[in-house]
Order: sequence, then structure tokens, then C-alpha cells
Amino acid sequence: MSEFALEIKSLSHVFGSYRVLDNINLQVVPGQIVAVVGPSGCGKSTLLKAILGTHPPTQGEILTDGMPVRGPNRNVGIVYQNYALYDFMTAEKNVSFGLKLDETSLPMRIFGPRKYFAKRRQHFEKSREFLHQVGLADACGKYPNEMSGGMKQRVAVAQAFIMRPKIVLLDEPFGALDEAMREDLQIMLLRFYQENLIAKREGRRPEYTILMVTHELNEAIYVADRVIGLSRFHTQGENGAAIVYDRPCPVFRPDDPRDFSKFVEQREELRKAVFDETFIKDRDDYVTFWKELGTLANSVAAIKN
Amino acid sequence: MIRRPIPTWLFWLLAIGGVAVLLGAYEVVSARQTRINPLQTTIPSFQKLGEGLKQIFQPQGLAENPKPAMFWVDIRATLWRLIIGMGVGVIASIVVGILMGAYRWIEAPLSPVVMFLSKIPPTAMMPIYFAVVGTDQKMFTSMVALGIFFSMTQSIYQAVRQDVSDEAINKAYTLGASEMEIIYEVIWKQILPKIIDSVRMQIGPAMVFLLAAEMVVGSAGLGYQIRMQSRILNMSVVYVYLAILAIVGLIAEWGLATLRRKLCPWYVD
Repeated sequence: MSEFALEIKSLSHVFGSYRVLDNINLQVVPGQIVAVVGPSGCGKSTLLKAILGTHPPTQGEILTDGMPVRGPNRNVGIVYQNYALYDFMTAEKNVSFGLKLDETSLPMRIFGPRKYFAKRRQHFEKSREFLHQVGLADACGKYPNEMSGGMKQRVAVAQAFIMRPKIVLLDEPFGALDEAMREDLQIMLLRFYQENLIAKREGRRPEYTILMVTHELNEAIYVADRVIGLSRFHTQGENGAAIVYDRPCPVFRPDDPRDFSKFVEQREELRKAVFDETFIKDRDDYVTFWKELGTLANSVAAIKN
Repeated sequence: MIRRPIPTWLFWLLAIGGVAVLLGAYEVVSARQTRINPLQTTIPSFQKLGEGLKQIFQPQGLAENPKPAMFWVDIRATLWRLIIGMGVGVIASIVVGILMGAYRWIEAPLSPVVMFLSKIPPTAMMPIYFAVVGTDQKMFTSMVALGIFFSMTQSIYQAVRQDVSDEAINKAYTLGASEMEIIYEVIWKQILPKIIDSVRMQIGPAMVFLLAAEMVVGSAGLGYQIRMQSRILNMSVVYVYLAILAIVGLIAEWGLATLRRKLCPWYVD
């Protein structure tokens, strides 16, 4: 098993003659929640699609748990802003769909009904457990069109994590939700992070590794333990967007007050480093995550075992 | 005011009223026509229509060697042609439509062909069928099958493109699906209600093609009989046959709507 859940090695992406991404290097350890921010059109979704495997990069390599990504596969989970649930399945079936694909085969579904149904019963049990965990114990039998946006996004999160992928990509996951639901779901992610910390301290591999694209700076700093900024506003900006910001951020517990004033300074720094067109700096000036590791207390990456 | 709701009882009263007015007006016109010409059969009275109904169920042939009534012969011939023809057409268009929606390299060569051919009215192609396939059972079924194939392929292919998002497919890959599994577990299940609906939409056109063909070259079938009876101005049978066609259409429509509700309880249109 690799030390890194996700490793990106000198990735560049070119559309025709336009360089979108230039020499991206990134390492994510299991259990981290990494937020990706950046001005619109900076290549966030290009990066995400490259990691997902639907749009391979023109240069460079992406490894998940040490394995190169060749097309969308079981190692990388995805949660979309528009939920992309399967309309024809109930919440329970949506969540257990991956288990069905994984543990049963087409011949078994047709010719081995007894074995198949026994397997499916186990899947549904596990799926209900997951739905319980994301706070949807009562909605197991509901179809997506009977659920609110927040409920659908919880189902989508459970659907991705039940497969225990090496990393889950959240693509602007809460953008379409109203404020209250967004808070609930952010707290859900903080709870996952606490479980990661416990796992890490007990010497297990943390289960929830997340790369989250968001346009909300507060959300990024509040939910994640590490923020990455992609932008073209650096000295070699004409070559494409690069990671110009990579720093740890404060870890909140689910029951901590949502006090955004705690990180006003970091938010301002992030704004200046990533979004300010007039502030041109060397691309590595704010890429200090690994150097700061020693100073972190309650971060998954800092716990050694 | 547009779309102002009305009470349920009034709705039903007006619905029944509509039918009553239709029947009443028919009776009045029929009675007038009979006054002008007591032997007329073009607008028969309800009593004459009743006789027509009896006539079509009358066993034919001699008493010692009875043959089935005209109605059973005709409806059997027509339904058989319709079911075989539609069955072949529907299955073929499901296969081609889904493959076109799933694979760009199948879509590219087929979509212009399908689009072009779907615009030719199948009834206009009748002479080609007569010449190429002959005028027997094969001709009727292939005409129905091909008549619905192009437009149904088109609509299934559109349904795949519109109802199955790239996200849904990519996500299925991340959950470990193979291509076969994506086609069956994601695409087929997602568009099943659209398929049932488009079968429902195609029953009308299929009937048009079939009856038109039966009127031209049939030796049995509802279309053939309608034409034969109208030639001898036996309109009481013709009208009864038309009513039967309406009933067949309603039953098929209701059956498919029920099927869709049962198979796709999640679907809301």
C-alpha cells in the first residue's frame, strides 16, 4: 500500500495551444480533507477530471494508492454538484449499487437467485448502516425525486464512501444547497475527519480521504485540513495555472462553534495569493504544507505511526 | 380565467354530456337521412348498428361445416400482424437506439441514415414493400416493423442522450461497472419508461400503416373488411369496426400505461 492516497507527478494539461495546467505536483495522505479553490476557469475541473480519469492529462502521471489512473475506476469516488443519483433506485439501492456491481455478476443475477438475494440482503444492511451514518435512516425506501437536495447529496456521499475508494472527489458538492443543509453536510465531513484521526491514532488506515473543489473560501478553511489554491497569477502564469497556495488550515470539531473569525487572516492571505490578479509572486511562495507539518497538532498528516 | 379548477362532479357531468351529445346528434342526423331515403345505409340508426354488430359475430359457412365469424377472422389477422410487426420493430429499435446513444462510433454512421429514413412516410413506401417482399404476411409485418423502426430508434437514441448524463455513467465506472453493466443496469433501466411511452406513441402510426396496407392488398383483417363493407355500402359493419379499432387502441394504451406504472414506479412525467 502506498504512503499516499493520491499522488500527482508533474501534470500539465494543454487544450490545443492553450496551457491550462502547468506542472502540478501534489501528494495527499490517507485521511486528509483537501479543499481546492481558485478563480473560475483556472482549471479546477480539468484537474478533477484528470484525477477521475475521464480526461487524461497531456503530460504527467496520477497515482491513486500507487496505481496509475487509466480511466474512471474503483479507486476514485466522485460526488457531483447535481447529485447524479440513479432515478430508478431507492436511496438504499443507490447506496448499495456499487456493492452489487462489485460482488455479484450478471450470470449470478440471472441464474443464481438464491445466492444473489442472500448477497443483496447483506448489501442492503450495509447500505442502511451507511445511510444511518449520514443521517438518513428514515429515507432508505425513497426515490431521488422524493428527496430534497440535501438528502440526495447525503445519499451520493454514502454511495461513494461505501466502496471504500482511495480518495473521493467532491465537485462543488454543496453549491446547490441552502445554507442550513450546507452546514449540516459540512459538519458531516468534520465528523468523518474525527473518525480519520481516531483511526490514525490507533494505527489503522483512515477511511475518508477527500479532495473537495469549492468556491467558498470559508467552507474550504472550515471543512478541510489543507487548502490548495490553483491560479495563473504567478511569475510563470502564461504557462498555465499552478498550485500557488498549499497550506494547512485549522481543524474544527463537529461540535465546535462555527467561528469564521478564527481564520480571517488565513482567508485574506488565501484571497490575495490565489485570487488577486495584481499580486504576482513566485509560484512556490505559499506552497508550504509539508514544511509546516512539524508545527501541526491535530492533523492526520502529522500523526506518525 | 385560464385553468380555473372546476368541481369533480361538474367535470364528470360535462364528460358524460359530451358523449351524450355525440350520440344524440348522430341519431338526429341518421333519422333525417332515413326520412329522405328509408333504404339508406350510409348513416345507419342505432338499431341498424346493432344488426351490424350481430352480423359480424355470425358464424359463417354451412351449418354442418361452420367457419369462424367474420370478426374473429379479421381481428386475429390484424392483431397478429400488429403484434409480430411491432415486436420486431420495437426490439430492433431498442438495440440500435441504445447502441447509438452509448457508442459514438455507432452513432456517427447511423444517425444521418436513421434521421433521413425516419422522414419518409411509411405508407408512401408501400409500393416498395409490395415489389420487394410480396403481399403476404411477411409484407404486413415488415411494413409495420420498418414503419416504426426509424422514428422509434430516433426517440430511444434521443432518450439515452438526454436522460443518461455523463455523470451517471462516469459514476457507474467509479462504482466498478463494466460496459455491459452500464448498458443494462444504468442506461436500459433509466430509459425504460421512455421506451414504454414511445411504444405507446407508435401504436397509432403502426395501425395506420397496417390498415392502409390491408385496404390495398389484404384478404382478411380489419382494414380489408372495412374497405369491402364500405364498397357495398354496408356502413353498419364499418362503423362497428371503427368503434372496435378505438377500443383496441384504448386497451393497448391503458395496458402500456399500467405496465409503466408497475415497472417504473419512480417515474414522474
